[in-house]
Order: sequence, then C-alpha cells, then structure tokens
Amino acid sequence: MPKGERVVGNTEEPVISIEGLWMNYSDRMVLRGIDLEVYRGQIIGYIGPNGAGKSTTVKIMLGLVEGYSGSVRIFGRDISDGDTAYKRRIGYVPEVAELYDSLSAREYLTFIGELYGMKKADAELKAEKLMGLLNLNKAYDMRIASYSKGMKQKVLLIASMLHDPDILFLDEPLSGLDANSVMVVKEIFATLAARGKTIFYSSHIMDVVEKISSRIILLDGGDIVADGTFAQLREQSREGSLEEIFNQLTGFDKYRDIASEFVAVIGEGAPHA
Amino acid sequence: MRDFFVLKLLDRMQWIFKALGADYAVLRRILQVKLTMDGRRTPTIFSGTQEPKLNMEGSPFRVQWLYLLLGLMLIALVAPADNYILTMSLMFSIVMFMITTTLISDFSTVMLDLRDKNILFSKPVDRRTLNMAKSIHILIYLLTLTLTFTGPSLLFSLFRHGALFFFLYAAEIILMDGFILVFTALVYLLILRFFDGEKLKDIINYVQIILSVGVTVGAQLVSRLFNITEFGLNFTPAWWHFALPPVWFGAPFELLVGGAEGRHLTILAVLALAAPVVLFAAYIRLMPLFERSLQKLAEQGASGQGTGRIARRLSEITCRNKVEAMFFRFTWSMMKHEREFKLRVYPTVGLSLVLPFIFIFNQVWSGDMAAIRGSRSFLFIYYSALLMMTAVQMLRYSTSYKGAWIYKVIPLPGTAMVYRGMLKAVVLKLLVPLFTLEAAVFLGLFGSRIIADMAAVLLALLLYSVLCFLLFPRALPFSEKYEAARRKEFTGSAFVQLFVLAGLAGIHYVFTLIPAGIYIYLVILAAANTWIWHRAFLPEDSGSSRLPTLRAGG
Repeated sequence: MPKGERVVGNTEEPVISIEGLWMNYSDRMVLRGIDLEVYRGQIIGYIGPNGAGKSTTVKIMLGLVEGYSGSVRIFGRDISDGDTAYKRRIGYVPEVAELYDSLSAREYLTFIGELYGMKKADAELKAEKLMGLLNLNKAYDMRIASYSKGMKQKVLLIASMLHDPDILFLDEPLSGLDANSVMVVKEIFATLAARGKTIFYSSHIMDVVEKISSRIILLDGGDIVADGTFAQLREQSREGSLEEIFNQLTGFDKYRDIASEFVAVIGEGAPHA
Repeated sequence: MRDFFVLKLLDRMQWIFKALGADYAVLRRILQVKLTMDGRRTPTIFSGTQEPKLNMEGSPFRVQWLYLLLGLMLIALVAPADNYILTMSLMFSIVMFMITTTLISDFSTVMLDLRDKNILFSKPVDRRTLNMAKSIHILIYLLTLTLTFTGPSLLFSLFRHGALFFFLYAAEIILMDGFILVFTALVYLLILRFFDGEKLKDIINYVQIILSVGVTVGAQLVSRLFNITEFGLNFTPAWWHFALPPVWFGAPFELLVGGAEGRHLTILAVLALAAPVVLFAAYIRLMPLFERSLQKLAEQGASGQGTGRIARRLSEITCRNKVEAMFFRFTWSMMKHEREFKLRVYPTVGLSLVLPFIFIFNQVWSGDMAAIRGSRSFLFIYYSALLMMTAVQMLRYSTSYKGAWIYKVIPLPGTAMVYRGMLKAVVLKLLVPLFTLEAAVFLGLFGSRIIADMAAVLLALLLYSVLCFLLFPRALPFSEKYEAARRKEFTGSAFVQLFVLAGLAGIHYVFTLIPAGIYIYLVILAAANTWIWHRAFLPEDSGSSRLPTLRAGG
C-alpha cells in the first residue's frame, strides 16, 4: 500500500516547501513555526484535533489567508509574490460545500474550468464525462441546490480535478459519499498519486487516513507533533491504530469518562420525564 | 446561461478594464455567472408548495415601477430653463439621496462579502480582476436603478433643453454613481483599516447610520443654497457649497448650458469631474488592500457577548406564552448577531432617526421657534416608524437560512406565537429605543404639553407594527435567503404601509383638534392594540396559516 517511502533523503525538488510558518488571528496563535517539505507522488494525511491549524495551513497555501510570517514556496516559487498563476496547477476541495448552488452542475463546472484557464467547450465536455462516471449524468443540468450532500461533494471533487492539477488540497473530501463512491474516489486518489500528483489530505476519519496516506503529519496546537509513514508512527508510539496514535500524541485519554458523563447529563431534567 | 445585454455593452469598453489591469475574459465570465444567479431563485426550506414557479428565471433587471413613478416627478425639476444651478443641484441631491441610501442598505453585504472568496480566489484569478468584477456587479445595479429613476427626466431634457444638456446630464449620472460607489467603499476601507474583530462589525453598522444621516442632512442643505426672495431665486456663493457633491454636479449646467461665469462655479464644476476621477484612481490602487482587510470580518473573535440577560428579562415581562418568549429571545439574539440583517436595517435606523427632525428644522428655518412650539409639528415623529417597515420585511432573511429546518423538527404547536414573539422582539429592540430617544428630544422642544400625544404615538406605532407584519407575506424569521429580485415584490405592500402610517398620523391630527380629544384617542388606541395583538396572533383554526412545513412535506 505505501506509495514509495521517500520521506527522507530526497534529492528532487519539493513541490511544496514551508519554512517557519507562523500565523496568528487577532487573539490567538494558530500556527507556530511549521516546517514542511512535500514531494511529488505523496499522499499526505494532514491530521490534528479541531482548531489545530490544518485548514489555516491549506488556506495560506491557496492564498486565501494572508498575514502569515515565514515562507511558503509552491513549485519552487514564493506564493507571496502576487502571481496567482501557480493556482492553475492546484485543485481544492473545501471543508464546507461552498459553491454557487443556484447554477446547474453544467454551468458551475464549466465556469470553474474556465477560471482555471480551460476552454469553455473542453471544460463542459470533460465535466460531463466525469459527472457520468460518478453516476450524475441525469443531474448534470439540474440546479446544484437540489442535490443531496453526496452529490454536491462529487461536484466539488470534479471541480477540483477538472483541470488536471498537480497538487490537490482535500479537506474531508469523502464527506457525504456512499460506500461505493468512497471506494471509487479513494482509488482515484491512489492512481493520481502513482502518476506523480501530490495530494494533501485533511480528515478526521483516521481509518481512511491510515489506509490512504503515504505520509502522515499530525498537527496539534499549531505545531507538527509527528511526521512519517504510518509504520514509523506506529513504531514511535507503540500503538496499534492511527486513532490510538492520534489520541496518545494529542494527550487525550479520557474519552470513556467524558462519554459516560455526557450520557448522564442527557438524562437530566428531560422534558418528557 | 444568457448573454446579458450589459455584458455586450461592456465588451465595447473592454479596453478600459484591460488598461486598468484586469483580465477581461475572466471578469466577463464572473459577471455573467453573477447576473445569472441574481435572476434565479433559491428555493427555501418551506417553498415546497408555496411557490409553484420555482424554476422561474427572472431577469435581474426587472423594472422597478416605483422608481420610474418617482422619476416622473423629477421632470418638474428639469423643466425650468433658468437657474440651472438651483434646479440641477436639487435634482442631484434627490437622486444622490435615493441611490446612496439604496447602496448602503442593499449592497453593503455584496461589498463586504467574503463567501465568494473561497470559491473564486482559490482559482488562478488575480485580485484586481476579482475586485473589479465585484465593483462592476454593484455598479450595473446602481446604474440600472439610477437610469430608471432619472430616465423620465433625462428623456424630457433632450426635448426641452437639447443635446448638450442631455449628454451632460447622462455623463454626470455615470460619474455620480461611480462617485457614490467609490466613496462608500473608501469609507468602509477606512474603518476596516482602523478596527479589528467584533468592534469592526459594530462600527460598520454605526457608519451606515452615520452615512444615511449624512446623506439626508446633506440633501436638506442643498435647498438652503438659495435665498428665496420676492423677486425669485438668488444664488449666493458660499464656502460650504464645496462640501456638497450635488452642487458640484449642478454647477456644470449653469456654466455650460446657462452660460454663467465665475470662479466659484468653475471650481464646483471641476470638482464634479475631478472628485470622482481622483477617488476612483485611489480606489483602484487601494482595492487589494480592501480585499485583504475584508478578511478581518471573517475572523471569529472569541466574543463573550452578554449572556442575554436583558432579553431574558424582557421576554418574561412581555410574553406570557412559553413559545412566544422563546422566539422573542431567539429573534433578539439573531438580530444582534446576524450581519446581513444589521447591514440592511441599520441604514434605515439612521433615516428614521433623522427624518422627524429634518421636517421640524425645515420649519425652524422658515419660522420662529415660538410658533413651532405651539404647532402640531411633533406629529413628524411618526416618521420614526419607517424603521419597522424595513425591519419586519428583513426579519425573514438570513445568511444561514438553511438553519430553518429547525422549525420543522421541533414540536411547534403553531406559528402564531412564533410571529408574536418575533414582532415583540423587533419592537422592543429597535422601535422603542429609537422612539424613546426622539420623544425625549421632542419633549424638550415642545414642552410637556405633548406628553399625552407622545403616549398616543407610541401606542399608534405599536398598532402600526402589527399592521406592517400583517401586510407583508408571512415568513418565519430568518428562514429565507435574501434575493434582490424578490424584494421588488414587496414594494407594493411597502407603499400601502406608508399610507397606513400617514393615515395614523392624520387621525392623530384630527383628535388634537378636539378638546381633550387626545385622551379619547389614547383609550381607543389602547383598545385597538389589545384587540389586534390578540386577534392577529390567534392560534390557527382554519389551517390557512399553519406552519408551512406541514404542507411542504419535506
């Protein structure tokens, strides 16, 4: 399953290289000195508790968040130079399904394709083929507002890959998909990575991250607390599953206590008692 | 996706955008998508059976008949063939007033929008193009609105005054729209630069109030330009004319069409051209900064804003029903936090605050204070209820309208109490404080003899609030997405509400003519209030006003 263990000792140019990345919002520090190099063909499982700074890192790389300190280089170029051309080679699936849902999938995907610099007819045709492959051919001309959550997610996935990007930033890309679609999409990611694409995968579902990633980066409180293949992480922490490793590294061991207390509180003063 | 006429028009001018450093193809595409979306309706959670024409695709440019109608009246100002500076300054002050208030109440959300950024800016679109698309999007609407409003007089002027006047007028309308847009944007930028986090969000609303007050007062000053003497109108130059944009726009007519001369007029006329151009250049330069500063609005400050104790107390005092009290508190806190609601309603707060005084001071200006004190001018306080019109109408909208599924899920006995709690919350949070403030000033101006009248006004306004609510089509609070296209459907009922308000003031006036009539009126109003607050919110029996959910069968 691992797609090439070349985390250390790499001689090729990194596609993403982050040095000393700090970021604070007005009241708190979100990132405290992230250093990171990512190479072609890697599937990075980017995990961490809520508020650890995962989305912020991704948004900085996309140019959506500014005001950071440190350097972020993508394809060897510093992204703060104001040239947005590097985004042409990036695909992005945001965490929340933000899209123009009063458009039909045809209109939306064609529009996104054009923004990425594709020709209208090419984008339209390609989107139609991809929609068909994900069983959405009938919905292609319906308004996205009428879609189910899973259908919207598929549209977002297609929108992120339509222009054949070299880096994919995915934030919970499988949310809302049914089991069959999950298998298809996971296989798509693996195949893309084997072709040299880089995938930056944030998720809270540890089983998937464990299986799909060639390298796992665990972020906690704005710091990288673990970085390596799943095998390496398991060795370090002597835990069986990624979920357990996650709990251990983020110092969380009270889940049983909290759960039982939670259930107790639910029982208090219920209106129908 | 249609190819809009406006876009074809823009194609002719694409060199401008290219010169300004935008990627025109991308710009055009974004605009096309935006305009298409504006013409479409987003189905609401409750729209199951209520709106059979769900997929109706209206043009975003449907004519606003009200504006056209009002525009017809402007012809009167364009008709005289002398004193251009007077007539045209007045004209522009009216137009600027209308357009600016519309801009700050309806388009502030678009200007300060962040949702787009994640979709568009994660793509290789440069910042300048994105910003320009946003500005042009707004400008297109402003121009459509302005043209509807000024159209009749514009056309009339061509026949009355000839081509020179016509082209000057048309050019100035465009300059004026640009000026208003850029000026407002720069004001917002200034605030975005200086404030942070939660404070920024509040300040923006205050600035909206200040802007609308400023525009209203400014428009009033224009009519003070001239000394009305027995022999007609005189224009005496004064320094403060330079601070009034409508006068800038009036000056070129006097110079070019009227053939007048003078340094004062020339400077004013130059300002009409120079000020918009300079501001526009500054705006283009500062646009990236604007976009970057906008990000601040997205930051969630760890705001521990009050625990809602006031709302709790008030809901206990005013609502006997549990559901009613619950929705009182819900509406209260939503009004406090819903940015979109605040952005749309606060400009009207400004208007409602200042309009009663404007009318009073108009009289102070022309008459003596003693006469005012004895008069019934305090009835102008009825204008403060304009606020209710907007507030009640806006309560149905929310950015998080999808959260309205909660109405379907909770075991609600009916909607009557939801509406009553909602209405009470608006009245207590917005109308009562505003009214108290104005009544206090009025009492200072008119003396204690109007105490009974003020009490009557308060009761009448409470009555009016229910009428406002009844006149608008019903919608659960914060359950719909705001769509400009839909709002036009409300102009009719808004018009009716204006008449109702005027009617209430009229009745009040009649009662003041009868000795001790005001006390009779008070009794009648008290009875009417008790009746209507009860009658309008009866538990639904016929099923006609049941929770729309039940029929939507989601």
